[in-house]
Amino acid sequence: MEILIYGTINSVALVLMSLGFALVYGISRVPNFAHGALFVITAFITWSLLNTLGLNYFLSIVLAIIAIGVLGALIYQFVLIRVRGMAISEIIASYAIGLAILEGLRWGGFKGHSYRLPVFIEGSIIVGDVPVDYHRILTVVIGAALVAFIWLFTHYTRLGLALRGIAQDERASMMLGIDSDRMALVAMAGGAMLAGLAGILLLPLGNIVVESGYNVLTMAIAVCIIGGLGSWMGAVLAAFIIGFAQILSVVYLGAHYQMVVALLAIIFTLILRPSGLFGRQKELEERV
Amino acid sequence: MLEATNLMVFYENMLALNNVSISCRKNQIVGIFGANSAGKSTLMYTLSGIMEDIRKKEQMAGGERITVLGKINYLDQDITGIKPSQRARIGIVLCPERRRIFTESNVLENLRIGAYLATRAQAKETLEYIFRVFPALEKLKTRLGGFLSGGEQQMLAIGRALMAQPKILLLDEPLMGLSPLIQTILVRAIKEIRDETGISIIVTEQYARPVLPIVDYAFILENGAAVMEGTRDELLDNPDVRAAYFGV
Repeated sequence: MEILIYGTINSVALVLMSLGFALVYGISRVPNFAHGALFVITAFITWSLLNTLGLNYFLSIVLAIIAIGVLGALIYQFVLIRVRGMAISEIIASYAIGLAILEGLRWGGFKGHSYRLPVFIEGSIIVGDVPVDYHRILTVVIGAALVAFIWLFTHYTRLGLALRGIAQDERASMMLGIDSDRMALVAMAGGAMLAGLAGILLLPLGNIVVESGYNVLTMAIAVCIIGGLGSWMGAVLAAFIIGFAQILSVVYLGAHYQMVVALLAIIFTLILRPSGLFGRQKELEERV
Repeated sequence: MLEATNLMVFYENMLALNNVSISCRKNQIVGIFGANSAGKSTLMYTLSGIMEDIRKKEQMAGGERITVLGKINYLDQDITGIKPSQRARIGIVLCPERRRIFTESNVLENLRIGAYLATRAQAKETLEYIFRVFPALEKLKTRLGGFLSGGEQQMLAIGRALMAQPKILLLDEPLMGLSPLIQTILVRAIKEIRDETGISIIVTEQYARPVLPIVDYAFILENGAAVMEGTRDELLDNPDVRAAYFGV
């Protein structure tokens, strides 16, 4: 029971961490290595709005998420657009941005264990015989709602369908009047907002520390590689596989094996099935 | 309606299009015939603006240097050098070689992605029209694009292009690799689309015979140059052309 509940919670947390990365990569083919930094900086922005400016918590969250969306769009418009299509340059550029943000935060004094965001709802409830706090339950609910929202958005709205067109065949989409750069901009802004939202949901469970930016990036990459780069549903499934594997290893092996599990999963995936569980079906493309 | 003058396209120093001038008038079906590597697809990419994207990406990645010279006029507007998505917006839509269906989306979704530029009412109307022209597609609505046969994919590709509300439709080798039966169906559909919607159509093919009955005017490309042009009858009267492209 404990494994089931905490496995689910952990898996949803992983889904939240990796959705933004999967979205950006799926649409614009840009591996956004600044993902972890966006995750952390949103939490710090919220913290500052909340504590320095004394705004209401909900308002701070909304403002922080809007700000991070704008930041993501700016990163695309002024940096990534110039290196688009060159994989190595994209990685270097986005990682450099991430590094600059994270180390900038550290340099700016955001370090140590004094930065905390309040949980949304205090208290806990006993599920089965396991105590679970409300905030974790809320995270699971919001995570599920977010996945459902993204699914609906990409299947039933004009913009969402255009994004999926670009994700599948960029040039064929251009022929239909869809502007690739604008879609990548939208994806980057959306991806940044998802990263930010994940940060705001997950970080109240602990301290806001700069280091979690690197961990989140690693986890997001692990999930996306195992699920198959560019496949969103693959990412969700992979998040559950890793999520449960981590909890199992915590229960049976010890807490410090968590990260090892994720990294081993990357290695095994790359050896056994390099395109991931739901990698794009290259054979199909060539046959047609 | 669409008029390209003195188009020259170089890949590095290789001349892919050599001083080609073609035009398509309103409500016309124009054929462009030529062998492999005669420059048909290059011409279609240049007209639809995809060449601008190819050029930009090659330039960014430090690849081949592509040069496009010449002028393209569309509805009395100079469109040389503008983006492909912008050209689609003003009504120039390419239905590409090898169809390029969205393989992970089903038939209906392919069409709905195609409707990006259409209003809701236009999309609905065009969708009904497509299912009338290609009744086969309606039964396959929920099948993934990747699991369609070549002929079905081609119908879908044409339908998807129609969803973008074109004023001029560029069809790049729509009959390639298809059976004679499907070819006949498609050729009839292409004519029907022109007759009923008034969309102008430029169609390329290697082998002219199946589409010849429906073209009003045709150009023949050879090694990147337009070596001959004329109405269907003028070309049919020329014995060399008949032997080389029409097989009659």
